[in-house]
Amino acid sequence: MAGTLTPERTAARVCELSSDARMAVLLDAAGTLAGASDPDRKLARQLADRARELFEAVDRATRDWDADPAEQVEVQVAGGAVFASRTPRWTLAVVARRAALSSLMLYDLRAVLDELEGGPPIRRATGVAADGDAPERASEEDVASELPLPELGRDAEGEGGR
Amino acid sequence: MRERRGPIGRAASIAENVAAAVRRMQREREPRILVYDHSGYARLVQPEARGHARILEVGQEMVDLATGEEGAPPRSRAAGGGEPG
Repeated sequence: MAGTLTPERTAARVCELSSDARMAVLLDAAGTLAGASDPDRKLARQLADRARELFEAVDRATRDWDADPAEQVEVQVAGGAVFASRTPRWTLAVVARRAALSSLMLYDLRAVLDELEGGPPIRRATGVAADGDAPERASEEDVASELPLPELGRDAEGEGGR
Repeated sequence: MRERRGPIGRAASIAENVAAAVRRMQREREPRILVYDHSGYARLVQPEARGHARILEVGQEMVDLATGEEGAPPRSRAAGGGEPG
């Protein structure tokens, strides 16, 4: 089915969304590698192991906190940053450039996981029609009538000018 | 009313701005760990917290793997590494 995100495609999807993302991996609930943005399986498995260790370490560090378990993690280190997000079914981790904006990376992770779990796909722009059922004919008058901006001079003419 | 500044005052103001920028850049380069709950509320894992060092170590290993620095001792390389090969 077109537009459905698969576990195999999920990690690559994150890297498509953000130019700051270097590499991403997706783990299933058992901590097994389910998808990677890099074709090198050995490298992907190593990264997946670290991603699993990361959440284990975070859970250990925060188990005494009076708060819900961490859903997302951001680790800034020399040479880059790691962002990870998890749901009961999936864990998605991405290594990004140091300059990556945290809020955007975390939003992308959450949005992609939502999409993987059956949420609506992320839309790129409203103007790009991908549907075949979009109306073919859109005259300039039709488009102009939908514009919220008034035409310059029209009101002035209606009022008899000044 | 706005205070009038002479050349020394303006130079001091520029120096303050530069110093603040340097402090900000240093702060941004410091390793840090943030965890977010479901609502997006962020909490900083303090450096003295249990497990802080381990989380940083794992994070550094992940960055090194993705940047092709596998096997390099943590934080021993120059920042900005190359693209994965």
